[in-house]
Amino acid sequence: MPTINLRGAQKNYGVNSANAVSDLDLEIRDGEFMCLLGPSGCGKTTTLRMIAGLENLSGGEIRVGDRIIDSVADGIFVPPEKREMGLVFQSYALWPHLTIERNTDFGLRLRKLPKAEREARVERVMQTLDIAKYRDRYPSQLSGGQQQRVALARMLAVNPGVLLLDEPLSNLDARLRLEMRAELKRLHKEFKTTIVFVTHDQWEAMTLATTIAVMNEGTLQQMGTPNDIYDRPANRFVAEFVGSPPINILTFGKPGVSDIADKAEAYFAARYPQLRDIGSIGMRPEAMGYAAKLENVPQGSFSGEMTVTGVLPTGGSWILELRSENHTLFLTTHALPRVDSGDRVFFHAPAEALHAFDANGQRIIEADALLRNSTYN
Amino acid sequence: MLWLRGDVMALLSESAKVEALVRKPVAAPSAWQAWRYRLKVALREPTTLIGILTALIFTYLIVVPIISIVLDAVRVQFGHERRLGKDVGDLTLYYMDRAFFSPVATDLFWRPLFNTLTVALGAISLSLVIGTVLAWLISRTDMFGRRWFATALIVPYMLPAWTFALAWTTLFKNRTIGGQPGWFEAMGLTPPDWVAYGRFPITIILALHYTPFVILLFGSALRRFDSQLEDSARILGAHRYQVAIQIILPLMRPALMSSMVLIFAKCLGEFGVPYVLGLPVKFEVLSTSLFRSIASRQTGVAGVVAAAIMLIGIITLMIDARLVREARRFVTIGSKGSMNRQSRLGKMRLPATGFAATIFILSVAMPLLTLALSTVMKMPARFTFDNFTLDYWIGTDLHTVALQTGILLSPELWAAAKNTMMIVGLASLVSGILGLLVGYVVIRTPVRALSVYLRQVTFLPYLVPGIAFAAAYLSLFAVPRGPMPALYGTVTILILALIADQMPYASRAGISAMTQLGKDPEEAAQIAGAGWFRRMILIVIPIQKGSLVTGVLLPFISGIKGLSLFVILAVPSTDVLTTYSLRLVDYHYTQAANAVVLIIAAIAYFGTLLAQKLTRTNLAEGLGS
Repeated sequence: MPTINLRGAQKNYGVNSANAVSDLDLEIRDGEFMCLLGPSGCGKTTTLRMIAGLENLSGGEIRVGDRIIDSVADGIFVPPEKREMGLVFQSYALWPHLTIERNTDFGLRLRKLPKAEREARVERVMQTLDIAKYRDRYPSQLSGGQQQRVALARMLAVNPGVLLLDEPLSNLDARLRLEMRAELKRLHKEFKTTIVFVTHDQWEAMTLATTIAVMNEGTLQQMGTPNDIYDRPANRFVAEFVGSPPINILTFGKPGVSDIADKAEAYFAARYPQLRDIGSIGMRPEAMGYAAKLENVPQGSFSGEMTVTGVLPTGGSWILELRSENHTLFLTTHALPRVDSGDRVFFHAPAEALHAFDANGQRIIEADALLRNSTYN
Repeated sequence: MLWLRGDVMALLSESAKVEALVRKPVAAPSAWQAWRYRLKVALREPTTLIGILTALIFTYLIVVPIISIVLDAVRVQFGHERRLGKDVGDLTLYYMDRAFFSPVATDLFWRPLFNTLTVALGAISLSLVIGTVLAWLISRTDMFGRRWFATALIVPYMLPAWTFALAWTTLFKNRTIGGQPGWFEAMGLTPPDWVAYGRFPITIILALHYTPFVILLFGSALRRFDSQLEDSARILGAHRYQVAIQIILPLMRPALMSSMVLIFAKCLGEFGVPYVLGLPVKFEVLSTSLFRSIASRQTGVAGVVAAAIMLIGIITLMIDARLVREARRFVTIGSKGSMNRQSRLGKMRLPATGFAATIFILSVAMPLLTLALSTVMKMPARFTFDNFTLDYWIGTDLHTVALQTGILLSPELWAAAKNTMMIVGLASLVSGILGLLVGYVVIRTPVRALSVYLRQVTFLPYLVPGIAFAAAYLSLFAVPRGPMPALYGTVTILILALIADQMPYASRAGISAMTQLGKDPEEAAQIAGAGWFRRMILIVIPIQKGSLVTGVLLPFISGIKGLSLFVILAVPSTDVLTTYSLRLVDYHYTQAANAVVLIIAAIAYFGTLLAQKLTRTNLAEGLGS
């Protein structure tokens, strides 16, 4: 399918209500596996439903290639049934009165495919998704994971130009979810379909997507590869939403509120006097280290002395909770910590692991070059 | 190790590029563009069109009759031009003055109002006391046979209320009125008038009839009650009765209040019972007063009384709506706590069972047995073998003035049965289908105003007691208006009124069915490429088959039992079973009348069972609505 383009897409339910989606520009290229990521209520599902045509726009337009399929200004609306897209619902939405096979070949029957071809295609997707043995059962007789497969098969059978997935894994248990993630990745390769995937689970987005679009309160926050999102969050929202435990934020310009923030401000003033407009900086817990003695702290890194107040094993790694007089930090370590609650330690973070944001929470892009060129002397 | 992330970051930082937000402003669509787009979306599918059509139909069938009767109340009616010195149709306050302030106002309005209120209050208090105890016994104790009682004690609600009125007269009728004497009179014990007729029996019968209401509403609230709330209190040291008074009762208050209000609304429109038991001693309630005004062609006064009944009904149900809202703040449905905890009755187990059994005997067994026996006995209360006969059912050549055959052989019964089946059947079928359509439009249309209007207009008849609604129909359709010919005396008016009267239930059933279905299955079909008609035929109707059947069956049952609509709108040629039996009561054919009522009760009872079986639901769930 050609590139799908949302331009200034807008949605509000009722005149006086806040925008569910406002002024959204989004480009979904052919063959892409795009994740719409955001907290609940951020407008990601609405965006997906607008693409499918199940939700009308309140403003803006949607194009597929050069063709406008939805536009308020031009008065164009291509109904969902003519958009040739596939959508897997969060609830799966299998038709309870039809067997698995009839659920799967529903779309093909509507398209009046010759019987032989129809059967061949149904057979293929049912085999691929391993549901052929349930063909004569009804949806209520299948488990959640199996229903999920049927919902996928039903959409893949018609070979849609784009497959839209609305949190399809949220109702599965952890193990099944992992399996289905691998399955989705495999299907993406095999069918070469463009996939748009809605999720609030950052790991799901990280593991599956080729592109992630982070949304919040109806607006697009950042679009980029999973690594972009993680390593160069465009603003504080993205920085704080992605990553677990969440990124440590130190707010500048409020002396006395946090001793660690004050220390960071001094560190920046001494080393990067050209960066004046920093509103806050972020340090990912997993980019930080700690040392028992000051001399073991790497040269040039930002560091400070704090008290260990908690050692939380998470299986394979540990989260340390550190407290100073008026600040709490988290850091992650993969080596067995040789410290205990009450010990004094020095945390440290290399300059290139620091994210600088301005007063509005936007990433200071000029700071990246400075911070990441710093050396270890 | 600790540097891992940092190293990766450093490596990637060269290639990675931040796509910062590029926000170019897009011109907002003009109001006209937005409107055109919305119109296009709205008219793309027939949903909105169907919605507009049904909205028009219901405006005509529901709103216009109500307006018409209210107008009757304030406009000069035919025959009063000279007395009032105005033309027919001019505005006047004469009828209001007559109903509220004139010397006859006491008879027309105030005493009936007083009687209605006192009877209703009596019935409410009695049924609340009996009902709450029974509900608790059934749902929270180890009373003997509580499963059986759970169904058995609901039976009075499945039967028409005036079944019990007829049973009462069969037992207690005295020589005040003619016809066959009651059993007690025949045995030489003349019951006083206050036992035989009027306030006392009406109150008792309505109380027994509406007790199931309390059992169902209160019982289901008790069952949903989160027992963790109870447990918490007991762990903190509260006694059983302290828990009951301080925790359970306050939380049950909304359910109790709600059943009170609903019973009141039902009593307001109740016609059959006060007609049978009140008329002999001129004990009038609002519904019978309205009936008398209509029967004596006092259209203007009838309009005033009907409007007053409607107003009381609307106020009552608005109070109920408030209570329901309040109840929502009290949501006590626990996730796993709502299990059914039983109290041990201990020594009280047998007496409790005895109490439930007594209520069952009083409210079900005795009335039905009395009616059944009365139809096979020549003389009342004489239990000798030669007094029993099947003549009243299947006899021929009986030596009576009219009705010379048993009831089952009488052509009038079969004509009435045929009429019932046709009128009630057709109306139920239509309202069931319309209900589903309304449900579909209400849930699906993108035009919010249409959805809200349809939901409210179809609910309106619920606020209007049947007898007032029938009066409204009479007021609108008795004379030709515009292209509509005069419909009084036709089958059409009965069907139309019945459809309108059943719409609250039908549309609620349709709306809840469509809400339950959700949008997903239909949207999935839409995504798969199915247009509107295909979706209806392949997805919506097959999935909603069950609720369509209930949507037809339940109105059918209530229509069969229904009396107040028919008693005003039916004429002898359009007699249905209920009006036919009432006519037989008027002619003092006691056995025949009782037989017809038994037939109705049987149809209603087995129909309800069938509906429950088909839908695998419990009556309890449908009642509160």
